[in-house]
Amino acid sequence: MFPELNSILNSTPDSFKSSDFILVSDRRADASFLIHHHLSFYLRAGCKVCFLGLVQSFSHYSAVGQRLGVSLAQAREKGQLVFLEGLKNSIGVILQEDTSQETQPLSYLRTPGAGLEGLFRFVERSVRQSGDGDAGESWGPPVLLIDDLSVLLSLGVSVGAILDFTLYCQATVCSELQGNMVILVRCEEEDADDDEEGSNLLRRGLVHQCNLALHVEGLPTGYCRDIHGQMEVWWRQGEETIYNQRKIFHFKVHDKGASFFARGTSSAVL
Amino acid sequence: MLLLDVIQAGGGFILIEDTVQCSGRGLLRCFINAALKRGEDVHVLGFESPETEVCAGLDSSCVQRLHFHKGFPDPLGWTRRSSFTVERFASQHITQLIKDTQHAKAAVLVADSLSMVLRHHDPVVFCQTLQELRQGGVIKTIIGLLHSDLHQQGIVGIVCHLASTVISVAPADNERHSVAKTTRRTKSGKVMQEEEYFSVSEDATLSVQAKPRQPGHAQKERDVSEADPTSNLTFNLRLSEEERKAKQKVALPFVFSQEKKSALLKPTPGSGRIVYEPDANDDFDEEDPDDDLDV
Repeated sequence: MFPELNSILNSTPDSFKSSDFILVSDRRADASFLIHHHLSFYLRAGCKVCFLGLVQSFSHYSAVGQRLGVSLAQAREKGQLVFLEGLKNSIGVILQEDTSQETQPLSYLRTPGAGLEGLFRFVERSVRQSGDGDAGESWGPPVLLIDDLSVLLSLGVSVGAILDFTLYCQATVCSELQGNMVILVRCEEEDADDDEEGSNLLRRGLVHQCNLALHVEGLPTGYCRDIHGQMEVWWRQGEETIYNQRKIFHFKVHDKGASFFARGTSSAVL
Repeated sequence: MLLLDVIQAGGGFILIEDTVQCSGRGLLRCFINAALKRGEDVHVLGFESPETEVCAGLDSSCVQRLHFHKGFPDPLGWTRRSSFTVERFASQHITQLIKDTQHAKAAVLVADSLSMVLRHHDPVVFCQTLQELRQGGVIKTIIGLLHSDLHQQGIVGIVCHLASTVISVAPADNERHSVAKTTRRTKSGKVMQEEEYFSVSEDATLSVQAKPRQPGHAQKERDVSEADPTSNLTFNLRLSEEERKAKQKVALPFVFSQEKKSALLKPTPGSGRIVYEPDANDDFDEEDPDDDLDV
């Protein structure tokens, strides 16, 4: 959890906006540090977290989580964290060794054209579970985290199917259960005629649906040792969609966190 | 004020185009509110947003004439909780839906959004459906919201072509307002276009301002006083009187005076002559082609 990002977004684990759909995207940069931030943030807030980890193993997130002060293994044991390990389970689906119900969420691997209804059912089951831990504690509002959604495009799922899936997730997690959603999408270079199915089209569709868009890119002027990139924060309010505010911050990622500062105020400069 | 005219008159197929930069849902609410105030029955096919968002701020006295057909939160029928799925966007289903819920008055059909419908229907079939609905007689006005940056340009073009009025919204420099570009085609074929600033209030009423003709007006008002560029320098850029006279006297190498020109161009005796006898096919022009050179 990054304290500076909390103050930028005006949220703390004790008080944060609910029914929020946060879109994290990047272009030729790596925005996964924001996923780690949100994971530790919501675990600290005591929410029930459903994490679709499609691109990294559980131990990876666990290791980063340790550095940020949360224990994912413990959270999973207590029932606070439901983790879908995409990489490990996909072998089983592709080789069709394991035909138990657990493989249903990854059914898109065999039939990408059929859509993501199976994955949605997994998400729905996970967030609707009463989630009573050993001590009988009930968790806070549910949170869905996805890392990352653009990998589904390279597996043959269409942009329309992914947008339908996120619409359903938003309807269930945000609107109905008053929870939050954080989704990571990785984009390619913008092309002049970008009508084609691709990550940029997916990102535009998700920006239409979301409440807050965090976009990470490298600095437009090139590589810098002290500033790792810029992050654009785009507040898109649900009700007054005509007024939306955008701000750009610079950031630097280090071992136990990331620091954010206004443009031009990096410690290397001042 | 074309936008206000369109909102107050209704009729035909009105398309609201938006992008990620600026959402058109606020304008859609204004249209719904205006139709309700006119006493018309409004049927909303809500696929993308919840009822609370689409119907926020509407006049509560007219709300019984508003029929929100719940697509959202289950627009595709996955959880079997919806009363109208995207699949059923066909003229016979919609016409039946309207006939079931009201009496003989002409209805207004609102689609939020057409992008969702286009994702799940063939564009040709979609266009046919729209035409059938317009000519069916049960629906007086169709209002649709389309996210133009989520479809190929050709598809957006097709839907715009079908519409009698197209309103594209975009953000304005001024944060309080947005810009709407309205194109309206009347039955006689006349096309009217106008660009206006608008803003939507909390109770779904529209306020419109005409767009100023010079957007850069504010910047031109700044006072720019002429400063002497040759002052305050560490080197000299000025000329003294003698230097100025000497400069004017310099003969530039390729500027010829009249005497020099005629001296150079006069043929000397004994030089070669060119004898040219034109053929029957030749187009011989007596004029000197170099006559207009100012040398």
